[in-house]
Amino acid sequence: MNKRSHSIAFWAAVAVFLVAVLTMTQIVRNEYPFFAGYVILQFIALAVAWSILGGYAGYVNFGTNAFFGVGVYTAVALFKATGAPLVVQIAAAAVVGMTLGFGVGLLTLRMRGIFFSIATIALAIIIETFVMNWRFVGGAAGIQIQRPPVMAPFDSYVKMLFFVQAMLAVIAVATARYIQNSRIGRGLQALRDDELAAECTGVPTLKLKLIACMISGALISAAGAPAAMYLQYADPSSAFNLSYSVSALAMALIGGTAHWIGPVLGAILLGSTQQLLAVTISSEVNVLVLGIMLVLFVVGAPKGIIGLLRPRYRLRAGGKQ
Amino acid sequence: MERRTFLGGAMAVAVVGHGSRALAQQPPIKIGMSMPQTGGLAGGGKASLLGIEIWRDDVNAKGGLLGRKVELVVYDDKSSASETPAIYAKLVDVDKVDLLFAPYATVPTAPIMPFVKQRGLLLMGNFSFQVNSKVGHDMWFNNAPWGPADSWAASFLDLAQKAGGKNMALLTADQEFAQNLAVTARDVAKKRNIPIVFDQVYPPNTVEFSSIIRALKAAKPDIVYVASYPPDSAGILRAVNEIGIGDSVKIFGGGMVGLQFAAVMSNLGSLLNGVVNYNTWLPEKSMYFDGTKEFFDKYTKRAVEAKVDPLGYYLAPFGYAMGQMIEAAVAATKSLDQKGIAKYLRENEHKTIVGPIAFSADGERKETATLQAQFRGVKDKDIEQFRSSGKQVILFPDKLKTGELISPFEAARN
Repeated sequence: MNKRSHSIAFWAAVAVFLVAVLTMTQIVRNEYPFFAGYVILQFIALAVAWSILGGYAGYVNFGTNAFFGVGVYTAVALFKATGAPLVVQIAAAAVVGMTLGFGVGLLTLRMRGIFFSIATIALAIIIETFVMNWRFVGGAAGIQIQRPPVMAPFDSYVKMLFFVQAMLAVIAVATARYIQNSRIGRGLQALRDDELAAECTGVPTLKLKLIACMISGALISAAGAPAAMYLQYADPSSAFNLSYSVSALAMALIGGTAHWIGPVLGAILLGSTQQLLAVTISSEVNVLVLGIMLVLFVVGAPKGIIGLLRPRYRLRAGGKQ
Repeated sequence: MERRTFLGGAMAVAVVGHGSRALAQQPPIKIGMSMPQTGGLAGGGKASLLGIEIWRDDVNAKGGLLGRKVELVVYDDKSSASETPAIYAKLVDVDKVDLLFAPYATVPTAPIMPFVKQRGLLLMGNFSFQVNSKVGHDMWFNNAPWGPADSWAASFLDLAQKAGGKNMALLTADQEFAQNLAVTARDVAKKRNIPIVFDQVYPPNTVEFSSIIRALKAAKPDIVYVASYPPDSAGILRAVNEIGIGDSVKIFGGGMVGLQFAAVMSNLGSLLNGVVNYNTWLPEKSMYFDGTKEFFDKYTKRAVEAKVDPLGYYLAPFGYAMGQMIEAAVAATKSLDQKGIAKYLRENEHKTIVGPIAFSADGERKETATLQAQFRGVKDKDIEQFRSSGKQVILFPDKLKTGELISPFEAARN
């Protein structure tokens, strides 16, 4: 298939997916699939957004929870101050996430590898502490939120959120796909393999890193924004929970980071396993199962699921094999 | 003729047999909940769950509710608010449980309050703090003894003022629960014209408190109100032990989380002496009601196997009491109609192993039954001592009182 027919197939699949999601919200009466599905879609958006910086550029960001929490609290603050509708909350969260991403991008000037990762953890702690002391959004005690009335054609707010999150996941995937196939993506891959060599051969590394950080940040924060309305409650320890970082990273790694489909597969696999385990085994064992899964994939399939499925990605992902 | 009789007899047997089998095979009554079994709240969650399981076994041994067995459907919420909405949607829409219990603690409960309100479902609360104040759900009933929001600080300040306290120092952790307490403490102090001479909020993971305690001592307060979490409760008491707190202090404690749990108590040992702190249940003579002793006999045996708090005073009996209230309401209304059960729970006083419980309109206790108790004569490294009475003397509420405050704090420490 050439590039053009690839594109047609992709957008056709997206259209089918969105129509299916919309139909599901109209037909299915049981609300549980929407509650669980929302979480899985949220993780698709997070994992894909994470892999733009962590996968393509190789800058491992442990601060997914910082961006996520910023998204949640931007929505909360805006909703409390002005009663802004959901779309505005998400857009605002994306802008704030992008600004934060710009800041994180500047960090990469001085820090690489493990030092960058540690700095992103610190970022999450700093922002969480700030929110904890911000009384307007509830501070350490958290804040309860009353949802506004649901909009047509949806008959429940959760169904609407499910559809909104599906849109956000699609936006994240389409963005990641665009980057992967563009000059930006090739530049990011070059700087991941050898930043100095890339800079010497004329790849504008700083500019690319800033772009990757900003896009990744904006997408993560946007995916976090509806969480406030989903939970109807926000508290710093849940919004800035490190599990968002660990899950996003694990999903991208399990799926494989060389291609945008990797994090999607990883998020579907790990996200649905998590949801399934939460309502079946439901004890310490479920944490153990996830841990074992991660170890098995790291050892058995270092390039993730896509590395197993398509050997040619193994070459691209490794770069040096 | 003979054949007809035989046939008739056979049919009759079949019908009777079928009927009795139908009775025996009535589906169980399912009670659904999430419970923190991993994460920060797991210690409390497991103890609470054990209390509820003991109730389930007791009620099933008596023949169940409405002649049906009681079955618990429990999922782990990982101590997180983000897990509970999906879990409760599953409980209601997929598992089709008959009744809902809330998870232990405020954070996992908060997101399900709007959900149960919207669906018109009864929710039995499990030690949340003021989680219904903004939602205003009229089918919410909290098993915790908290009572009105300000009663916690008010009872401590009552004791303090009686002991001659005129000004207050506040030392609080920057966490949800501690800050809730701090806010009410400031309000009550303002109403009573008690000046606050020291007000320090410290970050949750603080371990070294000597500089804070020195600054607090320098302010020469009469009343020291502390709202802290388990690791910092220990750090604060160690620093007080090393540096001292000054002779001015009449009363010390109030809202220290952790001093209710066996592991923390035995670890701190004699450092606890003199501290006045909140509690929910204590092995004092005023605290035994119908079935209390039997409950703790069972709990003590099963706690070892379940690897939970060996004493289990703080949460477990209230889990049991939650079941008892449902048991009484279902028996009285003879149905599982949630509106009917809620009406019964709201209008009556309920006998439980933690004493009589009556609810006000917001679903919290009408009167607070949160104890303020003073540690006395505690020795180091001995869990068993906490099973005997006299180690934590109840000062409040008056109905349950078993002794008087020893003041000042320095005198009570020996």
